[in-house]
Amino acid sequence: MITTVSLKDVLLDSTKEVFETMVFMAVEESLQDGTSLDAPALLATITFKGRLEGCLGICCGQTCASAVAASMLGMASGEELGANDVSDAIGEIANMLLGAVKSRIQNEVGNIEVSIPSVVEGRELRSSLGEGSSQVRIRVSIEEEHIAELSLLYREGCNH
Amino acid sequence: MGKSLMIVDDSATMRKIIMRTVRMSGLEFERTEEAGSGVEALEKLKAGPIDVVLCDINMPEMNGTEMVKQARQLPNCSGTKIIMVSTESAQELIDRVIADGADGYITKPFTLEKFQEKLAPLLN
Ligand SMILES: [Mg+2]
Repeated sequence: MITTVSLKDVLLDSTKEVFETMVFMAVEESLQDGTSLDAPALLATITFKGRLEGCLGICCGQTCASAVAASMLGMASGEELGANDVSDAIGEIANMLLGAVKSRIQNEVGNIEVSIPSVVEGRELRSSLGEGSSQVRIRVSIEEEHIAELSLLYREGCNH
Repeated sequence: MGKSLMIVDDSATMRKIIMRTVRMSGLEFERTEEAGSGVEALEKLKAGPIDVVLCDINMPEMNGTEMVKQARQLPNCSGTKIIMVSTESAQELIDRVIADGADGYITKPFTLEKFQEKLAPLLN
């Protein structure tokens, strides 16, 4: 079955793929701890169920989120973007990230059903999965300028 | 007469990205429309024929697979090319939506090359 270690690689590879092909920004894992995200942060989450169930989240500061949204839309800066444009872009990144993760694990875990992404101002991915759940977390640097946190909270599904 | 295109996706960002990718692919359309859900897309299809529809799957208010099924019942849509553009990549689902009437399938994230490769043959 899926291990925490392999899921971490899956999450990092998926993040690189989504940022390279759809956001046009370079992403590397950031091993520096402690650098905090600029507040207020935006958190986009998307849930999934199947033989594996849980939630994928991406969290970054507003400045980072605007830069990412602008780059996706081919704009020089995020200054003219409204809050809705930025959250829509970050939500769609969460959606594509889960899609990329799914395509890498579906041979092992079968099909998983995904929700519509939701975006809120905040930091922590609340865990409602309880016992038997695991979490993979990575921090990435985007264009060596911004920091984002990714997390994948999961457990084996009950109904499968 | 120039062709018409409709992009269906619940994310406005994704609709813009797809529009830009279509332009960068060198494909030209005389008229372009957007819809944020399957319901809105069907309304536009009922109003008049559209040559090419690029359609997301995971959307609130009617997903793309249901939209394709209903679109294929419309007399207006017999000549419409419908290409799904989705983060879903399970072969079983792709086969099912093609059987339900979609003409092609592009998975997200996509590259410009992949987009051109799937779209160009359908437009000739
Ligand atoms: Mg969608």
